[in-house]
Amino acid sequence: MEKVAIIGVGITPFKARYLDKTYFELAYDATKLALEDVNKQGAEITHKDLQSTVYGIYNELFERQFMPDIFINSYIGMNNKPGTRIASGGATGGYTVRMAFAEVASGLSDLCLCLGVEKCNDCYDVQTGTTTPEVLNAIAYSADMTYEYPMGMMAASSYVSMVNAHFEEFGSPTEEQMALVSVKNHGNAIKNPKAQSPMKITVEDVINSRIICYPFKMLDCCLYSEASAALILANEEKVKELKIDNPIWITGVGAANTDCFIGNREDMGRLYSNIYAAKAAYKMAGLDYNKIKEQIDVAELHDAFSGQEVISYEELGFVPFGEGGKWIEERGPMRDGELPCCPCGGLIGCGHAVGATGIMSTGEAALQLRGDAGKHQVIIEKGRGLAHSIGGPGAAYAAIIIMENQEAKK
Amino acid sequence: MEFQAHQIKDILKIDYRYTMGGQSKFFIELMNNKKLLGTKCTKCGKIWMPPRINCSECYEPAEWVEMKQTGTIDVSTIVWYTTSAFIKAIPYGIGFIRLDGADTAMLQGIFSESLIPSKVKKGKKVRAVFQKEREGKMTDFFFVPEDEYEDWIAKPEYEGGSE
Repeated sequence: MEKVAIIGVGITPFKARYLDKTYFELAYDATKLALEDVNKQGAEITHKDLQSTVYGIYNELFERQFMPDIFINSYIGMNNKPGTRIASGGATGGYTVRMAFAEVASGLSDLCLCLGVEKCNDCYDVQTGTTTPEVLNAIAYSADMTYEYPMGMMAASSYVSMVNAHFEEFGSPTEEQMALVSVKNHGNAIKNPKAQSPMKITVEDVINSRIICYPFKMLDCCLYSEASAALILANEEKVKELKIDNPIWITGVGAANTDCFIGNREDMGRLYSNIYAAKAAYKMAGLDYNKIKEQIDVAELHDAFSGQEVISYEELGFVPFGEGGKWIEERGPMRDGELPCCPCGGLIGCGHAVGATGIMSTGEAALQLRGDAGKHQVIIEKGRGLAHSIGGPGAAYAAIIIMENQEAKK
Repeated sequence: MEFQAHQIKDILKIDYRYTMGGQSKFFIELMNNKKLLGTKCTKCGKIWMPPRINCSECYEPAEWVEMKQTGTIDVSTIVWYTTSAFIKAIPYGIGFIRLDGADTAMLQGIFSESLIPSKVKKGKKVRAVFQKEREGKMTDFFFVPEDEYEDWIAKPEYEGGSE
């Protein structure tokens, strides 16, 4: 297997709505930014040097277009080269990174574009005169259409089921512990100029915000966002040829699909996809599930909902089961804590542009490891970071990417 | 010059005659006879509810079995903000119900005269109530706390099941 490095990162601002750009125009912008990022390091490449693309696009109904990837392929000038689309719910981004990794690791491509985009807020609910209910409806078709969609299941009620079951088992996360995630991630976003929802808020603000589905409040939930994110991946030979001094090596990719029917699971208070994806990624990277917190510097987690971030601390092995809530009370995942989680603001701070999100998270972790994260840079000592994606009905899909800056370690 | 965006109104709509395939019997019995059918694996004996006619674990056929119409709430929530298709129904309760004897839990609506978290909590006993007008869909029935059952089936639009 070839070694694979991230040599370019391009992320557009995450915004509530781009009136001045279509999804393929956004994808073009992120691709251009990623190429510029490679060239900032002394290389001279154009889109003509990219040999293939792996696209992360979740939802055709958002884009008002089936097979949106082929239209992007035309717009970004990648005709007559292979392009593969990945769609894995909220985990689309992470899964796309995994498959772009495979494209290079397998030797199929030396230089591959990993490109995610989503533009959801063209959906519009005529009856309320607002956007969100129709965006949520476009997502709700991801629930099982026979048994679950007709019950009014949606993303928040799916995640909250698992969080409530976790609370029944462990007495955690409490509403206050969940609110701390929102305070942290909205706060971290203040230092990220690309974030949609930078806010200085308190636990009380979160608890007093509008109820969405018990016990999630408005500020416990990420906002749907529009954005694109791109990575350029290269094998070792290309890294040398382009004289990239600071490649961020992908050392582990792990993914798992757990049962999408929550009612079929042995334990409803678990996001099993997280556990299996994490163990697979850590094993590949030679890291230890029980000591992972000591082995990495930064984790960009998929905080679609605050309570789910807390459970993820446990399932990704940062703390024992039931102790995620206590860990955030002790400031563990804060910028200055034991293991900073979502220093860019995560989904709650940046917004969730589904296909782009996991690629943004991976790109953000790579920029952190390179020391290029700007005002939200955290301290890098071990040279390793993690990006996490989860989504789909019952959070059935998960993907974890482990990255390493071998220069930083020296 | 300032940028001016052009927007168009549009809608995507597809009509279906969707077949329930091997699961058809569940919906026919629900519609015609107010029965809830699960399936039992012919090899491991696991009882699937919602039903599947093949056991995903053993790769052997599963047989139809009639289920009890009482069960327990495994987990629930009350929804206060939702999709365009359901926004007129808020607030509504949904939860995963484990029918007595089933090895899996099914998502269903939980109706209650007092829709508060403690009323629809884990461990609460519930019982199925049926719409009088049924179409062979999941919305033909819902669950209510067992102590409210008689009140719900007394309403003109609903009735009890036939176990």
